[in-house]
Amino acid sequence: MDEEPERTKRWEGGYERTWEVLKEDESGSLKATVEDILFQSKRRRVVESHGQVRLGMMRHLYVVVDCSRSMEDQDLKPNRLAATLKLLEGFVDEYFDQNPISQVGVITTKNKRAEKLTDLAGNPKKHITALKKAVDSACVGEPSLYNALNLAVQTLKHMPGHTSREVLIILSSLTTCDPANIYDLIQTLKGLKVRVSVIGLSAEVRVCTVLTRETGGSYHVILDESHFKELLMLHVKPPPASSSSECSLIRMGFPQHAIASVSERDARPSFSMSHLDSGTGPGLTLGGYFCPQCHAKYSELPVECKVCGLTLVSAPHLARSFHHLFPMVPFLESSVEELQGSRFCEGCQGELRDKSAYVCPSCRGVFCVECDLFIHDSLHCCPCCIHSRAAL
Amino acid sequence: MASGMSWFSHYFCFLFFLLLTSTRVACFAEDEVNLLVIVVDVNPIWWGQQAQREPEFTLSKCLDGVMVMGNSHMALTRTNKLAVIASHCQDSHFLYPSKSLGGGGGAAEDTSSSRDGKYELLAVANSAIAEEIRNVLSKTEVRGNSTDTLLAGSLAKALCYIYRVSKELDVGQEIKSRILVIKAAEDCALQYMNFMNVIFAAQKQNILIDACVLDSDSGLLQQACDITGGLYLKIPQKLALTQYLLWVFLPDSEQRSQLVLPPPAHVDYRAACFCHRNLIEIGYVCSVCLSIFCNFSPICTTCETAFKIQLPQMVKPKKKKLKMPA
Amino acid sequence: MKLRVQLQCKNLHEYLRELGPDVLDRLYNHPATCLAVCRELPLLAKNYVMRMLFLEQPLPQAAVALWVRKDGQRDHDECVSVLTGLRLWHSQQLQGGLQGYILNPVFKDNLRIALLGGGKVWADEGIILGPDRHARDIESLDRYAMERWEVILQFMVGSPSAVSQDLAQLLVQAGLMKSEAGEAPYITSAGFQFLLLDTASQLWYLTLQYLNTAQSRGMELVEILSFLFQLSFSTLGRDYSVEGMSESLLTFLQHLREFGLVFQRKRKSRRYYPTRLAITLAAGVSSNSPSNMTNTPGTGDAGFIVVETNYRIYAYTNSELQIALVALFSEMLYRFPNVVVAHLTRESVQQAIANGITAQQIIHFLRTRAHPVMLKQSPALPPTITDQIRLWELERDRLQFTEGVLYNQFLSQADFEVLRDRAQGLGCLVWQDASHRAMVVTPQGHSEVKKFWKRQRSHT
Repeated sequence: MDEEPERTKRWEGGYERTWEVLKEDESGSLKATVEDILFQSKRRRVVESHGQVRLGMMRHLYVVVDCSRSMEDQDLKPNRLAATLKLLEGFVDEYFDQNPISQVGVITTKNKRAEKLTDLAGNPKKHITALKKAVDSACVGEPSLYNALNLAVQTLKHMPGHTSREVLIILSSLTTCDPANIYDLIQTLKGLKVRVSVIGLSAEVRVCTVLTRETGGSYHVILDESHFKELLMLHVKPPPASSSSECSLIRMGFPQHAIASVSERDARPSFSMSHLDSGTGPGLTLGGYFCPQCHAKYSELPVECKVCGLTLVSAPHLARSFHHLFPMVPFLESSVEELQGSRFCEGCQGELRDKSAYVCPSCRGVFCVECDLFIHDSLHCCPCCIHSRAAL
Repeated sequence: MASGMSWFSHYFCFLFFLLLTSTRVACFAEDEVNLLVIVVDVNPIWWGQQAQREPEFTLSKCLDGVMVMGNSHMALTRTNKLAVIASHCQDSHFLYPSKSLGGGGGAAEDTSSSRDGKYELLAVANSAIAEEIRNVLSKTEVRGNSTDTLLAGSLAKALCYIYRVSKELDVGQEIKSRILVIKAAEDCALQYMNFMNVIFAAQKQNILIDACVLDSDSGLLQQACDITGGLYLKIPQKLALTQYLLWVFLPDSEQRSQLVLPPPAHVDYRAACFCHRNLIEIGYVCSVCLSIFCNFSPICTTCETAFKIQLPQMVKPKKKKLKMPA
Repeated sequence: MKLRVQLQCKNLHEYLRELGPDVLDRLYNHPATCLAVCRELPLLAKNYVMRMLFLEQPLPQAAVALWVRKDGQRDHDECVSVLTGLRLWHSQQLQGGLQGYILNPVFKDNLRIALLGGGKVWADEGIILGPDRHARDIESLDRYAMERWEVILQFMVGSPSAVSQDLAQLLVQAGLMKSEAGEAPYITSAGFQFLLLDTASQLWYLTLQYLNTAQSRGMELVEILSFLFQLSFSTLGRDYSVEGMSESLLTFLQHLREFGLVFQRKRKSRRYYPTRLAITLAAGVSSNSPSNMTNTPGTGDAGFIVVETNYRIYAYTNSELQIALVALFSEMLYRFPNVVVAHLTRESVQQAIANGITAQQIIHFLRTRAHPVMLKQSPALPPTITDQIRLWELERDRLQFTEGVLYNQFLSQADFEVLRDRAQGLGCLVWQDASHRAMVVTPQGHSEVKKFWKRQRSHT
């Protein structure tokens, strides 16, 4: 990320003797240090997390995919486009898992134009099928940063003020073909509080540096495919909300799922609203979610009611986001020798074999490194703390 | 056409049977480890009351059922694994495999093992379970008189355990895990958030949560089963627990698709508002902390945000700066 | 052309189904057998058994059929036939005249005992004898078992090793070796195939052969089968007592000792330790699941082979036997203290195939013994190698055999042509050679052609 334009580049820095980290032990083996490095890298991901910051929980994100000629490069396998789309599929899944009441749209840019692949919507399936289809499209010409951003802004500016408006650009080309002055557009974006982040596949580009700095986004250039994935996953977490963004109470519906079987007398099949425009799948079904305001039927949640505009969600969807709002405190590392009492992990009941163990600061529960990772990555609650009523 | 056959009058044909009759077809499906974690609610207050209500169905009866279930699971396939967790009102405890046995439950030189015709592995497991449950009930002191059980903690531990087992597999092995909850006492409403976190973690790991409910319906478990694809069943007769376990919960998810099972329970996905704990169909959600309220209020009681009041006839939303407590 | 003999290995159910009903009923008298049989049932059938285990009344057949969904009816029929075939359940008339099912009471009682306890102890444990002064740990048992088993395999490949008369005889009877009067037995093509199987299947194959000949040895089949199953459910590293075993069972124990299934310090020792081989015996039982579970690290045949796409095989082993096995179908290049390098060539593979080994067996051998590094990729073996081995095998099968009847020694060319045209008209002509006046017709067409020829001759 570029905080300062005159930040020193990596190649300007001192000579890094990366190999000196490795040290042989008495028998001349590198195993111990290599294991240590692996262990450290495993642990690293957990530590970084923001504490009590207000987050933009309702996100509207446009992903701009560069489909220009340079996406045919084969430095990512099989080529940049295929690798990017594959990673984006995983990204979309993960995004909706973590931000269930948010929306995503995809824009492609090639041949000096930009077009919408999918509109902003909350249904991961639609995006994923569109992404799968896009693999076969041809990569031609130059991308247009201006057109892509302009297209995204046209939709984003109508989104309510309490949501976070974001654009994520995956840029492969080193050039862009713009019909007007992009610096004017950047000012507009800034005014509309659209946060633009860029992931570069080739090298750092000045215009992107300015773009991301002005709009408060992040700018990264990938090293390899796994780094690419890591960078994408950084965008899964909801970003801190800007202090000036509005807040409001949003009216939402919590429809019940009605199950009806054919045997019941008063069961009548009906059309679901989502089928009306897609026109695929069986139209008439028995059960479904009925909007509590206008009784339109939907087969899936979350959705915005097409008839009355009410946002329909289920309670678990909201609950999915809770762990962002109440992040877990990181566990404290301590060496196994110093610990008194049991030598077993409180989580998995396994013996503590590693050098260090991790202690929950509130309940003093001891965990092994695997459990520590698992608890912070997926579980989001300490198995010991939630046993004591006081902690609730 | 064969050329060297002219002077014999009879030939028998051996057409390509070589590829069809290979002695063994490589099939790696058997390398699947099936792990079942049973979480038993042993809340002493509830079971104490139950013993007064229905003296014929007590905790020991229930544990017998659990052991039959566990034994059947372990006996039916070589690669099946079992873990049993007792969920007490303040703590959860691994009954099997217990720490003292070295975690594996394998070659435990235990004098109290098979004295009758039981399969040795099962005998060792059962005596371990019996031993541990005695420990738990005698040593854990009951504080307060809450009749609800903190299931989320037990489920969280179960997930940690499953995660460890899946990490310890040999190459080429796959694991399929599920959790069976045998629930007696009431839900603890305060646990909602943690419970949901646990459910989502299970869903992410493709772990089924099944629930066998003895007494009152549990909204939390209904959601858990629905989200993870497990089965929820409130058994009509407590005494028939074992039969229900063997019928409904012993088959794994693959087999269940073949069987006729009780219909799925109706799941209530309505939200409870944070202010009065009423179940609501239409409510207001704070855009900052996602708290749910049943009617409009100018300030969020959870995160103390002051809301911009959206009037129906707003011409243009003005930019209003509101300082937030960071 | 040599007829290919395929090594057929029955699974437990196929074997049991061939036994008479009275033998089966007696077999179910032991909990271990019931458990072993139950384990090998199809999944759905297991479910049926568990569901009926605690029912005392027969269930109407119509009710049982409703347990599965409509689309699973085929599986249901299969389960019914398996359960009936193994006499695990019986049909019984219900009171209303309906047909019902009830579990075989003997089987039901003994399965309950296996699961829940009660009844008699399977075997007297060593505890009665007090702790063993020469107690064995698991590692040494594993080593012992593998040593014993390798002795047998080495005997088969012809290295001089001490094997009892009984065992040699068994190998001959199993068709794995052949012996001509006065000479040492030598390996057959079935024997080569046997060598390439994984240990669990080898063991099960040999056990089946043993059981087939057991009665001729004057042994009680039910008794030794029950003992075998009991052994497979015992705990590794634990000692059991021979107390209360009959004379024939003691002989059987001596044979098992020779196979490496049990460890006994001395012939007259009062206790024995089952080894991992005995416990994994059950793994070889179901014949279509050669899992690499059986390659449990302790048994010593954990993966050691790396195959590269350039047809090189690296086998990280010291075992003479394993090297000999690899050499069955490859050309040895180098040998180092812990690794041998071999090369798969067309000649070496075809030589193996000429010995009666099939391509499938070679591939299976390589796959089951693949090094853990190889197992990480999928498929474990490079597809080019497996395909090429199969192609080399197919190369030998360029001939296609057709059954037929030869007509020759025609007196005149005209006779020959009349008959040939007739045969051609009937569509049953396989081959003809006008210069030698010979033709071959299919056996189906033979009678028609013959009738025609007789009529033809009577006309002229």
